[in-house]
Amino acid sequence: MRQVGKRFPGTIAVDSVDFEVYAGEVHALVGENGAGKSTLMKMLAGSFNDYTGQIFINDKEVALHSPSIAKKFGIGMIYQELSLAKPISIAENILAGHLPHKGPFVDKAAMRSAATRLMAMVGLDLDPGLPIEDISQHEAQLVEIAKVLGTNPCILVMDEPTSALSREEVERLFTIIEGLKKRGMAIVYISHHLPEIFRVADRVTVMRDGKKVGTKDIAEASREEIVQMMVGKSVKEFYKRRERTIGDVRLRVRNLSRWGFFHGVSFEAKQGEILGICGLSGAGRSELARVLVGLDPMDSGEIELDGEILQGRGMAFFLAKGLAYLTEDRKSEGLALRLSVEDNTLSAVIPSLAKGIFFDKKKGAPTVEQLLKELSVYPPDPNRTVGNLSGGNQQKVLLAKWLAGKPKVLILDEPTRGVDIGAKMIIHEAVERLAEGGNTVVLISSDLPELVGLSDRVMIMRKGRFIKEMGYEQCTEEAVLLAANGEETA
Amino acid sequence: MEKAVAKAAAVDGRSVGSNRLGGIVNQVGIYGVALLFILLGAALQGAGIINNFLSAQNFFNIIDAVALLGIVAVGMAFVTYSGHYADMSVPTTMALTGIVAVELLSFGFVQALLAALAVGLAIGLINAVVVGKFKANPIIWTLAMNYVTMGIIRFVWVNKQIYPDMKTDDKLTVALFDNIFRYRFFNVVGLPVVVMLVMMVLAHILMTRTAYGAQLKLTGSARKAARFSGINVDKVVGIAFLLAAFTATVGGLTVTSLSRVGAWYNGAGYDFRAVTAVVIGGMTLAGGRGSIIGVMGGAFVIGLMNNIMTLLGIGTFSQDMIRGAIFIVVVGINAKSLRSLGRDDA
Repeated sequence: MRQVGKRFPGTIAVDSVDFEVYAGEVHALVGENGAGKSTLMKMLAGSFNDYTGQIFINDKEVALHSPSIAKKFGIGMIYQELSLAKPISIAENILAGHLPHKGPFVDKAAMRSAATRLMAMVGLDLDPGLPIEDISQHEAQLVEIAKVLGTNPCILVMDEPTSALSREEVERLFTIIEGLKKRGMAIVYISHHLPEIFRVADRVTVMRDGKKVGTKDIAEASREEIVQMMVGKSVKEFYKRRERTIGDVRLRVRNLSRWGFFHGVSFEAKQGEILGICGLSGAGRSELARVLVGLDPMDSGEIELDGEILQGRGMAFFLAKGLAYLTEDRKSEGLALRLSVEDNTLSAVIPSLAKGIFFDKKKGAPTVEQLLKELSVYPPDPNRTVGNLSGGNQQKVLLAKWLAGKPKVLILDEPTRGVDIGAKMIIHEAVERLAEGGNTVVLISSDLPELVGLSDRVMIMRKGRFIKEMGYEQCTEEAVLLAANGEETA
Repeated sequence: MEKAVAKAAAVDGRSVGSNRLGGIVNQVGIYGVALLFILLGAALQGAGIINNFLSAQNFFNIIDAVALLGIVAVGMAFVTYSGHYADMSVPTTMALTGIVAVELLSFGFVQALLAALAVGLAIGLINAVVVGKFKANPIIWTLAMNYVTMGIIRFVWVNKQIYPDMKTDDKLTVALFDNIFRYRFFNVVGLPVVVMLVMMVLAHILMTRTAYGAQLKLTGSARKAARFSGINVDKVVGIAFLLAAFTATVGGLTVTSLSRVGAWYNGAGYDFRAVTAVVIGGMTLAGGRGSIIGVMGGAFVIGLMNNIMTLLGIGTFSQDMIRGAIFIVVVGINAKSLRSLGRDDA
């Protein structure tokens, strides 16, 4: 791609970027949210018919003005969100659009064998007749790759392919990528996760503000260097522990169970404390959080807040008592993307701002303004539609929504998943400030540096039970991870 | 942070561009469309194609027709706004409540109206529980409800049309029921128009100035996110269906009083007509968008259109066809502008 640009009304999303990827190479593309990575790759995928500059494939200039043209030139895209139809079989999904047929009928046998062949390429050994809803998330991710491989791409773009995968699954994916590389495929790998990039990429290109900052061989680049290129300034010490005074017990949970998800969970969290909860996916962390705020009913146990055992039901009741939950699923459970920043920020405090049955948004305006400033939401415009903000800023609005209610206990579920480093730092700041103000924070996170860096204590959850508690002093990334995997530290 | 600006502005600029088409029809612009229809009517009269469009009598015809539709559309608007498309049980709710009121006139005028209201709200409550709490598909469920109610009417009253004077000997009650909605304030503004205006104002306040309205907007825009904000979405949606049943009841009493007869066909067509008014008034079927002011404009446009078509001598079935076609076009524009808004981020 030479000097390519894409202009949206009012701004330039990608500004004269040169980008090249060779056959047999994994080229990582990094940058904060809104840096223009996705726009650049969408140009390659033929999503725009009005880009500027030139795109060459095998030294021939091509005009990629529609997705079908891009596909014909051998460009395959794997997006973050899966594009599989759940109720139909793996084989039909993989071969969607080019099902083998005999006359007007689908050739079932040919379909199965073609699907099996493609699945073998990604190391998947499943019955191709299984419907997608019966296989696991990471298998679905591999099916997605197999589906794209079925179109015989020469250039493969992967946008955050590991965001839904566990550690072992990521390793498997990397093995597959190595295999594809050996076949001479050119791979563009978009990720927020720097360790992954060092693990898998040959070269890395950093983008910022729609411009290319630079390209480096991975062997010559250091982590700090890339981070600096991404943020445009040197990162301060990331997790500098601040002193907090920890007060009395605020939340006491006794023998809490929800059958099938977690059992006999007991713990205490104090005022001004950040309590980390760590566990692999499926350990029951989010399910625990949902019961703690009344979204799901408990099967047994007690929740005590400031000495009062909570008897009511429903999230409205728990929220009124001061328990709040920031969901891990920002887009569907967290924010109303079609509504404004203001509507979203005030969405959880409508009852407390209302006077009788009447509710005046203007009453909440100062709160919104202050929170937007505090969290450096950009642009700081309360009337902007949330869906039009970058991912990092959306996440800040989600946090603002819960800070607006000044909860006594705020449960954060993956508060910085998929956000850029700048936003992450601001969110961490706000969480620490909240704790310093005497509030209790329960932090659920798969981001180990974050978990270890912020928490005063970490509880390890495994298969629905709390198996270990670690104080801040014992906490290291390795120790936490080993414990979560059910192994003892040596 | 600057990159975030660029991206946000980028997406915003794009959505504004592609939403312009929908924006013309949406919101207050609907009054522009109403004005166009008035000009069209005037032009047709000027050309000698239709008569009497620009007459006081025709003006009242239009206003009265708009009033009845407007009353029903107010409640329908809450259902649409909540993201549940439409309440298809409106026609038989209107018919049944009217019949019940006439049937029970012997117990007194107020008693009969209260009984009708109770019946209407009972239908609404069933819809509220089944759609709100058990999350049945709103269209299918309310359509089934419509058939069941129709079945009840046909079973109990067979095909009979019942007249107020058959049911009570009290002349005063009969006269009251037959004439109340014909009352004109200052001999000009009919009671239905006043009822519509009062309901519109109340509905507008409810939607924009109350906690319920704010929660309804969130629920309609993103039901799951609303639930995760501690909003009792089942209740919020349920209330929307209760409101629809309430306005259908008021509409049913109005139409029954105006026609002076309780009959199974009294509400026929008001489901679709009300949804059309709501949608062309700028409320998207996806929920959480639009306003009561727009819906009132929508009712006006439908009323004007019907009036002109009738004056032109277009048959009922052809009118249905034209209304259907307009509905399809508006929903199409809506869907298009919504799709272009529903962009991803990152």
